[in-house]
Amino acid sequence: MASILLMVALGLAIIYGAMGVINLAHGEFVMLGAYSAWLLQTYFGFSILVSLPLVFLMVALAGLAVERGVVRWLYHRPLDTILATWGIGIVLQQLVRMGVGSDSRYVGRPTILDGNVAIGGVVMSNYRIFLIFFSIAVLAGTWYLLTRTEFGTKLRAVIQNKEISECYGIRAEHVYALTFAYGAGLAGIAGALVTPLISVTPSMGTYLVVDAFLVVIVGGVGSLLGTAVASGLVGEATAFFSFLFNDTLGRVAVLLSIILLIRFRPQGLFPDKVRR
Amino acid sequence: MLEAQSLFSFYGKSPIIQDVSFRIAPGSFTSVLGRNGVGKTTLLRTIMGLTDGIGGRLFFNGTDLGRTRTYARGPMGIGYIPQGREIIPRFTVRENIVMGTYARPDRKRDIPDYIFELFPILREFLHRRGGDLSGGQQQQLAIARALAMDPKLLLLDEPTEGIQPNIVRQIEDVILKLNRELGITVVLVEQNVHFARRASDQFIVLDKGRVALTGSGEELSDEIADKHLTF
Repeated sequence: MASILLMVALGLAIIYGAMGVINLAHGEFVMLGAYSAWLLQTYFGFSILVSLPLVFLMVALAGLAVERGVVRWLYHRPLDTILATWGIGIVLQQLVRMGVGSDSRYVGRPTILDGNVAIGGVVMSNYRIFLIFFSIAVLAGTWYLLTRTEFGTKLRAVIQNKEISECYGIRAEHVYALTFAYGAGLAGIAGALVTPLISVTPSMGTYLVVDAFLVVIVGGVGSLLGTAVASGLVGEATAFFSFLFNDTLGRVAVLLSIILLIRFRPQGLFPDKVRR
Repeated sequence: MLEAQSLFSFYGKSPIIQDVSFRIAPGSFTSVLGRNGVGKTTLLRTIMGLTDGIGGRLFFNGTDLGRTRTYARGPMGIGYIPQGREIIPRFTVRENIVMGTYARPDRKRDIPDYIFELFPILREFLHRRGGDLSGGQQQQLAIARALAMDPKLLLLDEPTEGIQPNIVRQIEDVILKLNRELGITVVLVEQNVHFARRASDQFIVLDKGRVALTGSGEELSDEIADKHLTF
């Protein structure tokens, strides 16, 4: 679960870090990713591994449409983006409910990843091990994109000084649109990959996105490292406390620990230090 | 090369620049002078399209800048070195200079060698972060960033403000050299009358957003300085 959380939170953190937009529709991008995977499997027989690039593109396009259509008009009104993206989330949920129905859907695990491995006395399914490595690869890919490519350099320039970036030929609105699409695409991938673990419903995103927000806050806004560590922490803590007590009490314990952490370290674990 | 015809420029609904006209010839050196708050910085920001709106006409090499977005103005050959330098603090020196090349129409990404001959210190500090440089070094970096785009016109906003005196002279010499030897047109916002007189072909004195006076460099007398530039 921590790996799924990492991919969801990564998209959320990038969108917030780049544009200051708190994207409450992010959970619905996860849900769209899950339904895309279901669609591709049910009607075309694609295994989710095969559909991943397609799902990424489909959800990224949906993200692009949301950014171009709504979010870009609200960059100077950050509070309104919260409301607007929340509304978009509800619309997306209802559209799926109308189009596909509200029953749970199931997506099969890719057959090559069936089976379990026993490492020291701990049995783990191959699929979960794959998820861990895949999410680390996504993290590394994102890091590479942000720090080693021209697009990443332009994005970081726009984040730090939009006006000057535009004076030097960078089209900030293109950078924003592509960043939003990339974040949405990551959510879509996470949604596709989570399908073998939980059932696919129109409201599945809401549950995941809450945890993703917790991860972003705990990790420190704008920090890839923080997002990575915090998703591990939140995921493991949830599993640990649920094992210790039960699911409900476990949840309570996780939230209490986060409240305590934020009380004493409001900037998160790895805040982005800036010297200007 | 750059021509303004009764130019107005707005922040919200307030006109900061009012009815300003001027003509800047290719290869010339123009100083914009005036007290604090008369619109000198706003004039440069208007040329880059960073104000809320303009009235009148503004042409660069025959193109109507009123219809050109900010990101398209850099690639036309306008290099802007803003007040306070505004280099990117978390970029390395190298990344900051490479950022200048994003405004090149030919999409080349190499840094021209002559930049490091002008500012050897930047080669030495290539991998330091921009925010860790001293004020004078940051100013050199800001000029280097603008040069990396191979500009035809440089807009400099008080490049020697708040910089230690030994580097002021060096920066002034570089600006002169860029104009005299490389033929880059320069528009300089400046408080230092002596440098403006030494360097300029023409000067424009602004007062309350309007042109109070214009003339050639030699005509910039101490009386004019006393009348329009002292408080």
